[in-house]
Amino acid sequence: MASAPLALSVPEEWSTRVRIRDDARGLQREIECRPEAVKPLCSWVIQTIGYAFAGLIVEEAGEWRLRYAFYSTEAPSAWIYIVAHAPHAQTRFSSITEVIHAADWHEREAEDLFGLVFEGHPRLGDFVLHDDAWQEGLAPMRKNFDGRRPPPLRMPNPDWRPRRIVSAPGAFGMPVGPVYSAVTESAHFLLETVGEDVIRALPRFFYKYRAVEKVAEGRRADDALLLAERINGLTAFAHGLAYAQALETIGGIEVPPRAATLRVFLAELERLRHHVGAIAELCESTALVVATSQAAILEEELLRLSGALTGHRYLFGLATAGGLTRDLPDAEVAAAAVRARDIVKRLDRLERRLVRTSSFLDRLEEVGIVTEAEARAFGLVGPIARASAVSRDLRAIQPYGAYRDYVFEVPREAEGDGYARLRVLFAEARQSLRLMIQALDRLATGPVRSADAAPIAGAALGWTEAPLGAAFHWVRVDEQGRILRYRIIPPSFVNWHAFHLAAEAFAFQDFPIILATFGLSVSENDR
Amino acid sequence: MSQWVLSGLKAKIKTGIKTTRYPARPDRAPGVTPGLPVPRPVRSAHSGEGDAERIANRCPTGALDAREGRVDVDLRRCIHCFRCAREGSESMPWEGSYEWAAAVSPTAKLGHAFASSVHIRVVDAGDCGACLHEVKQLANPYYNLHRLGFFFTPTPRQADILLVVGPGTDQMREALTKTLTAMPTPRRVIAVGACALSGGVFGPSFACSEGIRSIVPVDIEVPGNPPPPLAILHALLVATGRAQSADSASRTRQLDAVERET
Amino acid sequence: MIEQLGIGSFFALSVLGVVGALVTPQRRNPLLLAIVGTAASVALGVAAGSALFTPDTLSVALWSLPVGIRLRIGLDALSGLFLLITAVIYLVTSIFSAGYLRRYENHYSLRAFTVLYFGLFASIAAVLITRDVVSFLLAWELMAITSYLLVNYEFEREENIRAGYLMLAMGEAGTLAAAVALILLANAAGSLDFHAMHATTGLGPAARWAVFLLSLFGFGVKAGLVPFNSWLPRAHPVAPANVSALLSGVILNLGIYGIVRVNVDLLPVHLAGPGLVALVVGAVSAFVGILYATTENDTKGMLAHSSIENMGIVAVGLGAGFSFTAAGRPALAGIAFVAALYHLTNHSVYKALLFLGAGTVDWRAGTRDLDRLGGLIRLMPWTGLFFLVGSLSIAAMYPFSGFASEWLTLQGLLRGTELSSSVARLVFAFAGVTLALTAALAVTCFVKAFAMGFLGHTRSKAAESATEAPTSMLAPMGALAALSLLLGVMPTFVIPALSDTLGPLGDGSATQALVPAFYSAHPEAQLPRDFVAEFHDLGAQVGSGVIPGRGLVVLHRGGTENPVVFAMSTSYGLIVLIVLLAVTAGVVLLATRRRRVLRETRWDGGVRQLFPEMTYTATGFSNPVRVIFDAILRPRTVVDTEETVAQHFRVAIRRSQEPVHLVDRWVLNGLATQVVRGARLLARMHHGRVSAYVAYVLGTLIVLLAISAALAM
Repeated sequence: MASAPLALSVPEEWSTRVRIRDDARGLQREIECRPEAVKPLCSWVIQTIGYAFAGLIVEEAGEWRLRYAFYSTEAPSAWIYIVAHAPHAQTRFSSITEVIHAADWHEREAEDLFGLVFEGHPRLGDFVLHDDAWQEGLAPMRKNFDGRRPPPLRMPNPDWRPRRIVSAPGAFGMPVGPVYSAVTESAHFLLETVGEDVIRALPRFFYKYRAVEKVAEGRRADDALLLAERINGLTAFAHGLAYAQALETIGGIEVPPRAATLRVFLAELERLRHHVGAIAELCESTALVVATSQAAILEEELLRLSGALTGHRYLFGLATAGGLTRDLPDAEVAAAAVRARDIVKRLDRLERRLVRTSSFLDRLEEVGIVTEAEARAFGLVGPIARASAVSRDLRAIQPYGAYRDYVFEVPREAEGDGYARLRVLFAEARQSLRLMIQALDRLATGPVRSADAAPIAGAALGWTEAPLGAAFHWVRVDEQGRILRYRIIPPSFVNWHAFHLAAEAFAFQDFPIILATFGLSVSENDR
Repeated sequence: MSQWVLSGLKAKIKTGIKTTRYPARPDRAPGVTPGLPVPRPVRSAHSGEGDAERIANRCPTGALDAREGRVDVDLRRCIHCFRCAREGSESMPWEGSYEWAAAVSPTAKLGHAFASSVHIRVVDAGDCGACLHEVKQLANPYYNLHRLGFFFTPTPRQADILLVVGPGTDQMREALTKTLTAMPTPRRVIAVGACALSGGVFGPSFACSEGIRSIVPVDIEVPGNPPPPLAILHALLVATGRAQSADSASRTRQLDAVERET
Repeated sequence: MIEQLGIGSFFALSVLGVVGALVTPQRRNPLLLAIVGTAASVALGVAAGSALFTPDTLSVALWSLPVGIRLRIGLDALSGLFLLITAVIYLVTSIFSAGYLRRYENHYSLRAFTVLYFGLFASIAAVLITRDVVSFLLAWELMAITSYLLVNYEFEREENIRAGYLMLAMGEAGTLAAAVALILLANAAGSLDFHAMHATTGLGPAARWAVFLLSLFGFGVKAGLVPFNSWLPRAHPVAPANVSALLSGVILNLGIYGIVRVNVDLLPVHLAGPGLVALVVGAVSAFVGILYATTENDTKGMLAHSSIENMGIVAVGLGAGFSFTAAGRPALAGIAFVAALYHLTNHSVYKALLFLGAGTVDWRAGTRDLDRLGGLIRLMPWTGLFFLVGSLSIAAMYPFSGFASEWLTLQGLLRGTELSSSVARLVFAFAGVTLALTAALAVTCFVKAFAMGFLGHTRSKAAESATEAPTSMLAPMGALAALSLLLGVMPTFVIPALSDTLGPLGDGSATQALVPAFYSAHPEAQLPRDFVAEFHDLGAQVGSGVIPGRGLVVLHRGGTENPVVFAMSTSYGLIVLIVLLAVTAGVVLLATRRRRVLRETRWDGGVRQLFPEMTYTATGFSNPVRVIFDAILRPRTVVDTEETVAQHFRVAIRRSQEPVHLVDRWVLNGLATQVVRGARLLARMHHGRVSAYVAYVLGTLIVLLAISAALAM
């Protein structure tokens, strides 16, 4: 894990009012303060230190603990947590969205799930829990709420109306979903339009809210791993790994070198398969049938490859705290790498044909643009950020596991449009193969799982660069190894937040294409 | 555009037809299915009576049931975590099958009018993405469900089969029932995946049901987490009467049933 | 005799109406208007019908003025047609008004309305029967002023005043041009009598062009032809609905009447050019009219724009007629003229129906904005039905009236290929293509009007509480709807009557080509000679008795290799249509008799509740047209956003599109600027210094002297 020594000191005027606690391993620095100090401190971390906002973690432990996590986007270095403590009776906090727009959805989620009010936030309520299905103020994430069964009282707001912000003569909201298109995840989009041209698309999520963070509480840590894998089945290994790394940090568990290498191999196999699938969907959205089929063939081959190699097509049940649940024979890993190389070769051929197809490029170029400034303000992550010239990749900037020793490039494009996102996908697929081959070369002999250790109480953050971007899993366990609080900040949650920027002032027929170029997971967002 | 036609033809000539022969012939390609645990007797002398319980206790979702020295499997709950197969000294054997779909209602089969053209509306009721993705894979050239007369349709008005993935979240409840009522009769419901059958790792909770049975009536159940495309294809064939339903016991596979088969 | 009696009693009843209005209390005025208006309409209708359907004509010299001006009135078949249309529209409007005027009770003077109503009625009739330049122009002016006052009836609204003013200003400019045209004719004939002008021969091509262009402009303003149409879409919507019905159903016709009277009757067009000019003006009017109608969301505004379109179609028919006349093809010219008059008749009927329907909706649902209406068919089923008939008619949907006349017009245009001049063929082709596009847009436009007004969700609170109109308002609309159907399925009875109006004008008989006598009881011998010649020229006859009955088939026949150029039978078609509908209904019933019919709510994608604001608006429906024709429409778009807290919290996106009419942009605005500039220049001369005024007087005197000296030499 990280990191270089943390060379920062809190400004003079705050030094008396905050308490700084450094982690013994130099992983993190906690700045504890009163809620009033959060906003200036956050703004200082963002603007002066230049860190990026990772997320807000709310804990209810007799008192309220609001943990604002920040990470360095330059050199690997310790994390900064600004932790505000407040008595349990206090439910009103000041919003930091004015200075950090990326905190917008985090505060809305905390408002809906914990019943905390963030003063200064313009748009609270009706977020995770739909107001036309649940009453405001339910606060299911509070400890006194029994999450195992529906609450006795249910009072949806009868006057609920969709929030519309477009006023134009004759404008109307075209509802899309939650059940729409042929085979898609459930989400609702209200396209505010005056007919053919859509002025703005406003998504409404959390139809798939499964309350993962709530049901995890009280479960054994290794059972909660099953939840981590299933917040997004398509990138199960990356999420499982992030969770496992959090547990490893808490327990101080060493991962055997063979397991660390195999983790890289599997994570990159998953990324390759995910990106090929995303490319297939993008081709499908433009109705390019042959390309769709060719990409889908490659994807299915990668799924079969994963299935034959690990027993599960989506790499479920492999990651675990302390390594992997099973070893993979060297010969099979090598054979998989050879096949992956062949698949990437065919993928390259597909790319060459695609970039020569002008009718395809016409649909992608200058469609769904997210500018660099917007990407920074919204704190975007993953391929979408990298297509908007924000080159953030946790494998490079906050290396975890064995990544520190690997050589690879972080692809970056500047235009921020659909075509840039497609190029990033292709380039990353190639880098994944490169990493897989390096992993194959480094495959050491030895166990793949460290011995089970007695559970240790504690909290830690685990992170991976999932195929869709940075995934943060923050876990607190008690002495029995049961989950006290599990907070997931998946990349789709961060990136969907900016979707409306890309879906502004476009022609109706471009909507599926914009969706496909984002290629995000609803399941991961909704949790 | 012609470059695409050419490249498509070239690939076909070079690599041959990729499409599976299933259901005419079983598909044994590696990696098409994660398989399922097989019930087994536990008679190991040195570990004594507690062994069956020890195996069963490894299951995080309670899919394994230990009784009288044997372990039975409730497939509705199995989430492919492999813990029963990989951990400890005693393990459950796995088999690489995929014909798992079981008809659970007496009228699961659609009439003969649907023998060769069936339209499917897929609804995601809180799925993690894997089951939905496996459903989507049915359309890729390896499975090509169109060759068997199955089609995904965007509108429930033209759908004959409602295929539901995911555990049935509370906020999707209304959309799911609305979709079903929007469909013309006769219509059938296929629940795909352990989550849709039992709530999986998520349900039951305040936000999530214990399987979609509590929301819509289910005719055919497909276990698996996720069930591979061939298992979903099998369910569609069962719905149209073109394949045998897995023994209803396969929902709760018991040792005697397996022994009878073999 | 009947004519005199009818006309006499009509004017007497009009006077009675005016006087009655002044002496009866306000509250009773609508009833008076309905009763007296009905009686006057019947009287006028009898006179007009007699003139139209019998060979009688009327020509009376009323009195002579000492300066040598003789005031004459007359009634021929052409006047008869226009008078009959006027009478029919006035008849239904009068009955409708009894109920409709209640919405103005206690707010605007009903007495003033009644006075103006009869004033307008009388002046319209006067325009149509006067037979000399002076009384014609007097009647015309009276009509212009009363109609202006009626448009301004709801004078408390700013927009009405501006619209009325523009209407008056443009109308007066038109009158001036028309007066010059008539004076040119009178000058050549040496008499102010229309009768004497017939034999005018002394006009050279330049003067003929001048007369044509001046009359096209002068009367074209009244008909709302592009580019003289700017007043129309402003004035028609703001008038009370019953007045709008009259404006579109009757007064626009007067413009066409003027053009026809001058260019067909008084000075038949012999040049090739004017016809082509009329074709282009008509085609452009039709297209521009329907384009703006499609993108308009105000029901009455949309109808006003569509009036421009329909007058354009009429003008295309006239233009084709002029061209065929000039090319020496009287039979074809006859077809074209008949098509034009047929379309004019149909338009009067369905447009009056639609305006009355729109007015009813406006009153009952409280808005004319299609974006805020919707779902009214459940609340106002009869109004909905009649509006649907009107919409189908205007969209030229079989079997309603618009179909027959537009089909005939297009057929006439197709015959342009037989002309020798390639320029003419090109212009005919242009007009034909434009008309085809227009017809397609008209369907879009009225699907939008009906669907957004009457189907789907109700999109405003006011519209939710709408109730059906009283029978006294529904019955007139029902009558017009029935008439629309009749005019559509009985073309073989309408066409001969129309061709008779042209009969005295020279080539009316040619239009018998459309309803050939071969299928009638008349033997061929009864046909006019030139017509028979034309027919033999066109091709061989088909044997008689192919289709029984008095030719319910409209048929025109061409050369030997193409014996039937076109044929249609909306009458037989109706039977086929009914049979088809019955069979379809029967099959559906049979197929579903053992089945349970499930009624489910609409599929909404699974949202918990579908709100009215989630359904298509009229703007949304017509937006593709707006996008496609953006280069022509060029609306002024203003987008404005509002953020709160930080720049990324967008709370509002406001977008407004102000449509600027093509003609306003290209013609009216420039003209207005020039007029203002000229007025400034003149204003500079009036600075109040006596010496300067003396100098002006002196200067004028010198100029006049110089002119008279030049004339004397």
